[in-house]
Order: sequence, then structure tokens, then C-alpha cells
Amino acid sequence: MNIKAKLLGAAALVAVALPGHAIADTTDKRIALSNNYAGNSWRQAMLESWEKVGSKAVSDGIVAAADAFTTSENQATEQAAQIQNMILQGYDAIVINAASPTALNGAVKEACDAGIIVVSFDGIVTEPCAWRIAVDFKEMGRQQVEYLASRLPDGGNLLEIRGLAGVFVDDEIHAGIEQGVSENASFKIVGSVHGDWAQDVSQKAVAGILPSLPEIVGVVTQGGDGYGAAQAIKAAGRDVPVIVMGNRQDEMKWWAEARDADGYETLSLSIAPGVGTLAFWVAQQIFDGAEVPKDLTVPFLKVTQDTLDETLEATPEGSVANVEYSQADAKAVISDAN
Amino acid sequence: MDKSFVLKLTDLPRRPWFWAFAASVLAFGATTYLTDGRGGAGLLSAALTFAAFSAIVGLGQMFVITLGPGNVDLSIPATMTLAATLALKFMHGETALVLPGLGVALLVGLGAGGFNYALIRLLRIPPIIATLSASFLYQSLAIWSNRGLRIKPPEVLADFTTGSFFGIPNMTLIGLLIAVLSWIVLERSIFGRWVSAFGQNTRAARLSGVPVEVVRAVTYISSAVLASLTGYFLASFSGGAALNMGAEYLLISIAVVVIGGSSIAGGNSNVPGIWGGALLMFLIVSMLNSYGLGAGVRLIMTGTIIIGIVAAASGKGRAV
Repeated sequence: MNIKAKLLGAAALVAVALPGHAIADTTDKRIALSNNYAGNSWRQAMLESWEKVGSKAVSDGIVAAADAFTTSENQATEQAAQIQNMILQGYDAIVINAASPTALNGAVKEACDAGIIVVSFDGIVTEPCAWRIAVDFKEMGRQQVEYLASRLPDGGNLLEIRGLAGVFVDDEIHAGIEQGVSENASFKIVGSVHGDWAQDVSQKAVAGILPSLPEIVGVVTQGGDGYGAAQAIKAAGRDVPVIVMGNRQDEMKWWAEARDADGYETLSLSIAPGVGTLAFWVAQQIFDGAEVPKDLTVPFLKVTQDTLDETLEATPEGSVANVEYSQADAKAVISDAN
Repeated sequence: MDKSFVLKLTDLPRRPWFWAFAASVLAFGATTYLTDGRGGAGLLSAALTFAAFSAIVGLGQMFVITLGPGNVDLSIPATMTLAATLALKFMHGETALVLPGLGVALLVGLGAGGFNYALIRLLRIPPIIATLSASFLYQSLAIWSNRGLRIKPPEVLADFTTGSFFGIPNMTLIGLLIAVLSWIVLERSIFGRWVSAFGQNTRAARLSGVPVEVVRAVTYISSAVLASLTGYFLASFSGGAALNMGAEYLLISIAVVVIGGSSIAGGNSNVPGIWGGALLMFLIVSMLNSYGLGAGVRLIMTGTIIIGIVAAASGKGRAV
């Protein structure tokens, strides 16, 4: 071994021993987005945010590429093949919104073994070599009941609208709602339907169960279903209870109109589709040499009576309330977690 | 009592559509039993409204399935989404554009049906593959045209689709009207005979002078047009077109055909059964939801009930 190699080795050791210093150059790094689904307004907003933030980062010379790829069938097998292609194409990092928390682990491990940084968000993967940017969905469910308890101290009957049966997010939010109800014993869930996070499916499911329900004081939801519930309840000729909304523009518009008409009050919460851009910056920060814990938590986006007007104003018609994250936000999330 | 009437009554269970209606009545009874009869009117009105959407797409699917093995239209959800997206974008909430908007939706249906048929005929692709791959095209067009943004329907159209006429929901009236027209076409016109002949034996039909390719083209186009029409009304009913709005209707369109007593092997179909199946699909879910059963149990029960009805309807001694 010659002197030069020894020096290089020593330099490498120093670099390893001194983590947390943003020293590396990321300009030649290529980042890919592996996305499992694009068929709703939330995912479209997510892709748009990625495109906006990614292309800006490329033109600013921060990274070399930020390409987005979406599978057509929302299948784990298809997405695994997509990840394998990305490995072959030589991407330096893969940011994933996964079709399944476990089914992609094999492909993710292959990517890690090839030296690729893997960051998952929203639909996270459990493979230990990947990073996870998770939303505390359980807390999201719990806070809905907590809010209802603050509004309705006497409690009462609740209708729960769940998401897509068998999906991890649905189970988590549901668990949070159950926890909330057990903490606030004056509430009782008298009916539960699956709205598949879609307004028309929710409208149909709620219309079907309403005739058999006693009076309800609140509706707990998962996002993308509040407007449909309101329509169904209105059509049945019932008084509209407190429906927790999910940040969709049509829900917020309905809420604002109801507020102007008779002072309707509620709460709206969901994940911002821009969480994909946070994952992008986290990948960039890992290249940059930052020490990033494997599990990061991102707060969900909450719209209250006070912030309704400004959020509604900032949200394009028919879209979802959104926040795009910056490099500084990613640094803050990372330093909070450390 | 009139003897022929008694005979007719005992004959009923042998009608292929009987079981779907009987099961619907049972599901309705079981749901209202829970509330001691309260809410019966509300449930009936909701069932009639939502069943109309399933019935209209189901009728289109029925004509396609009647063409025989391998014929099924998998592009229904994407066609609904594309038609609704383009029509609502075109109308942009303007009352004056309601009818031209309907025209846009129907044109999308004509285009999609024609394209499906061209793939099947010119490229000789099996219908399942042709309509499935075409549906990716339609869905992508819908995404590209509006990026998933929900546009509100014109107020007057929203009021019409959610409104009712002498207590009967408007959508039910439209669904019934289309069902009656379909019945006349299927049972009383030469075209209906051709469709059945095509499904029973395509070669024999061709040899006996049935213009088989015309029959197939018209059938696929009508399925797409009915899907577009449903998309147009459903989007107006639920407050806007969404990219995932048609997703449910693929399974439903096929299920109502099968539950309604039409032969899945083609050649023999049944219009009243489509409405029976559509009502049942809504009432089963409502009943199981009302009894508070979890999603797993609900799906198992739905599947079991469908199998039971199909078995009962295809039982021995079936009346023609």
C-alpha cells in the first residue's frame, strides 16, 4: 500500500468519524420518484409539487436529475419491477410512495445493496435500510375525536367513514379514532362505512346507512370523503352534524359557504401532498452528509376556522390544500429528530 | 282466483330476474327491521337513485356480454371518468352549456366505443385486452386534460340529478327509461335478435346473414355511450368529476349482469334483472353496513350472496 492510498483511507476515516457536516457535493446526484398511483387529486398534487421543486433543484444545480415515475396498476409487483429498473438505470437515490409496506422490501434491499439511498414517504416501507417519512395517522384519527369532544361536551353518536379496506393507512386512522372514542366515553360510533377516500363512494355508502341510524352529532373521516357525506346527509333531509373534513378544496368551499350561511364550524386535517418534496430534500441531505435517523415524522396539515379563508384562497379549485417543503424545512425536520 | 294468475305466480321463481328482486326485498326488509320500519322511505329513495347509475352501465355491459365468451367491456370506468372530466371542464359551471356538455360526453362515448371496436376488429386483439389497454389511454387522457382537479357541475344540472319528480328521483326515471328502451331493442327489434344470435353461435349467425361486424360495433359503441352518460350524470350528482370516480363501476357493471340472470356465456340476456341486480348491490352493502359488520365479513357476505343468487337463478327448469 503506498502513501497516497493510506492518505485517502485516512481522509475517508475522518469523513466517517465526523458526520453531520454538510460537506459533500450533490450536483451529480440523480434522484428518482417511484410512485404507485396517480388516479386522484391528492396524488396529482403530489406529482405536481415534486415536479415544481425537483425541476427547480435541477436548474439550480443542486442535483442532476429528479425524475418521477408512476406505475399504472397500483400493484406491488409492478412497482418492485420499476424499482429494479431504477437500479439498472443508475439512480443515486430512490424516493418511494409504496403500494405496500412489506411487499417491496426485496426490491428496496436490492437497491440498498447497490449503494442507493432509499427514502419512503406516505406509503412507507418497513425494510430497515430505507428511510421513512411517516405521518402519525393514528394521531390524526385521535385528534378528530378530541376536537369533537371540545365542540360537543355532551358527546353523542358518531358516524365513521373509513378509507379503502385492507390498506395500512385506513387501519391506523381507524385505530386512532377508536382510541379517541375510548378516551371520550360520551361518544359512541353507531355506524361505520368504507368511502374509499372518494366523494362519490362515500356519498353512496352514507346514503345507504343513514336511514338506519339514530341522530348523529359528528362524522369522523379520513380525507376525500367529507363533501360526499355532507351531500348524502343533506339529501336525507337531516341536520348536518359536525363533519371533520380532509383538506380537499370542495370540502373547504362547502365549509366556508356553510359558515357564511349559519356559522358552521369544523376542523379539517390531512397530509399535505407536498410531503414528497420533503422526502426529496431528505435524500439530498443524506448525500450532503447529514446524519439522518431512519424514522422521521412529518406533521399533518390542519385547517381550522381561523385559517380556512387563507388556505382556501391558496388552494387551486378542485385540488387539495398543500405545502411544499424547502431544503431548510428538511434540515429542521432532521435536526428535530436528532 | 283466476287460474292463469296462480300459474303465473308459481312461475315467477323460474324467471331469471326473480331472485335478484327477491333478494333485494329481503335485504330491504332486513335493513328496515333494524329500525322498526323507520327510514324505509329514505332507504328506498337512496336505493332507487344509486341503483340507476349501476343499471345504466350494467345495461351497456349486458349487451356486450350477450355477444358471447370473451366479450366484456373493461374500459367502462375510464370512459366514465374521461367523459365526465371533459364534459364538466367544457361546461365550466355554465347553465347554458348543459346540453352541449351532454353532447361532449356522448361524443366521448362514441369515440371510445369506436376506438375499442377498431382495436378488436382491425388489430384482432381479444376484447378483454383491447378494452383494458384502451382504458389506460382514456384514464391518461383524463389525467392529462385536467390533472385531477374537480370542476363543479352547473347548478341546474346538479339540482336535476339530485332532484325528484313526484317523489321519484330523476335519476331513477332516466335509468328506467333507458331500461325500457333497451328492453324494446333486445326483445322487440331485429337488432336484439342479432345480438342474441351472435352470442349463441357467431358462425351460424354470420352464415344466416346477420351482419355480425355491425352488431359488434354497435354493441361496443352503445356500452361506451351508456358509460359516458353515467359518468356525466354521476359527476353532476356527486359534485364534480374525479379521476377515481368510475373505479367501483367495473365490478358492479359485470355483477349486475350476472346477478340479473343474464347468461355470462352470452346469447341470453335479461333487462329487468339488471335493475334487480343494481338494487341488490346497493341494498346488500347498506344492510351489512347497518348491521355494523366489518369490511372483511361484508365482502365475504357480498360474495356468498352473489354466488347464492346466481346458483338459484341458473337452477333447473329455467323459464325462457
